[in-house]
Amino acid sequence: MLKVENIGKSFGKNEVLKNISFSLNKGEVLAIIGSSGSGKTTLLRCLNFLETPQKGKITVGNEVLFDSDDVNSRSDSVIRRKRLHFGLVFQNFNLFPQYKVIENITLAPSLMAKEQIRENGSYKGAASMKQAQKAIQEEAESLLRRVGLYEKRNSYPCDLSGGQQQRVAIARALALNPDILCFDEPTSALDPELTGEVLNVIKGLKSSDSTMIVVTHEIGFAHDVADRIIFMDGGLIEEEGTPQEVIDNPKSARTREFLARFNQFGD
Amino acid sequence: MEQFFNVTLELLDGFGQNCTIFGMTLLMAIPLGLIISFGSMSSFLPLKGLVKTVVWIIRGTPLMLQLFVVFYIPSLVWGISFDRMTAAVIAFVINYAAYFSEIFRGGIESIPKGQYEAGQVLGMKKSQIFFKVVLMQVVKRIVAPMSNEIITLVKDTSLARVIMVPEMLKAAERFTVQGLIWPLFYTGVFFLIFNGALTLLFSFIEKKLSYYKG
Repeated sequence: MLKVENIGKSFGKNEVLKNISFSLNKGEVLAIIGSSGSGKTTLLRCLNFLETPQKGKITVGNEVLFDSDDVNSRSDSVIRRKRLHFGLVFQNFNLFPQYKVIENITLAPSLMAKEQIRENGSYKGAASMKQAQKAIQEEAESLLRRVGLYEKRNSYPCDLSGGQQQRVAIARALALNPDILCFDEPTSALDPELTGEVLNVIKGLKSSDSTMIVVTHEIGFAHDVADRIIFMDGGLIEEEGTPQEVIDNPKSARTREFLARFNQFGD
Repeated sequence: MEQFFNVTLELLDGFGQNCTIFGMTLLMAIPLGLIISFGSMSSFLPLKGLVKTVVWIIRGTPLMLQLFVVFYIPSLVWGISFDRMTAAVIAFVINYAAYFSEIFRGGIESIPKGQYEAGQVLGMKKSQIFFKVVLMQVVKRIVAPMSNEIITLVKDTSLARVIMVPEMLKAAERFTVQGLIWPLFYTGVFFLIFNGALTLLFSFIEKKLSYYKG
């Protein structure tokens, strides 16, 4: 369903991504591992239109989302529609501090419903804002149950632990039903004892119709959850394959070196 | 006693002028300051340069001088003249908008990039991100510096007397000429009461906004 072709991205003279290509099927979980500075996060940000690659092509289904040869694909409103194919969960959660947990989840869908009802007369089958609001609210509550935080729906983010905030952020990203949900090192900002609850939520999302890309340093987690693993190094895909191939029997010397450092600490 | 009563009435009359300048300035300098702050953050460099230069001139020269400029220059150069109150309000609005714009800029730039990015990946428009996500956080962050400026504004309004606006200090000076000195000092009481009320208001707003951190 996702096809990434020859993506290249430089910041000034620093070439962060060099010719990245891969594809992803519906329902698959892809884990991207690699050391800091290898370009994992930049790749994810390119997919979410937070960075614009200098070259390459991104296709979801039959729709070309980005093509460096086509300048027309870059207007603001076009990007806004296209990026909704993706959801992104940030390393630092980035919840909106002035809104309650439930409002963090309903804000974006409500704004979208308002816009679509004004333009097309309906949002997901709801013809009035009141109907839409009710559906959005119910959806948000069920998402909160799914991440185990329904009781916290009226709290503010500052009253939650890091792990809880990240679970809210996951629910917020899911509320827009993205085709592909991306995680950018979702547990890197958490205390070690809080990573488990977040990883379990992500594990729980895995199903036949949820497609996910997880950038992570949790090698064990990647091994358990991912269908496929990409090891990135120096802006290139160094190795790609099933967890058994990449983690258990790495072919590349760089991959082995990287994994050895993790194994040293008994991960 | 009757004299005290008359002086109070007279000063209150003058203080009405101070309040008018204060109210009009707040009303117009806040939106104008917001627009100027966008200009000073613009990625279009000529606009940014122009705005920064204007802010430098306004903040770098005395408000009293600006009052003279607004009142006298148009009539000297183009033969049009504002009445005194209008000239005073124009000068105050421009001056305070320049100061406010820097407070707004600081507030807006202090909001982490992640807040904008979170809005973006959730499909929000730039305007929605600003009004629904960023603005409330900016307001919380600028309450303290804004209350400082606004309290200063209350006192600055007495500068309008230099272009003969009959504000409170001007009124007190009329008594001084008649040999009555205490009304001049008595004006301080009006400022103190007004700023005391403002201080209470601002601490109330701060408390109202303390329901969340961040």
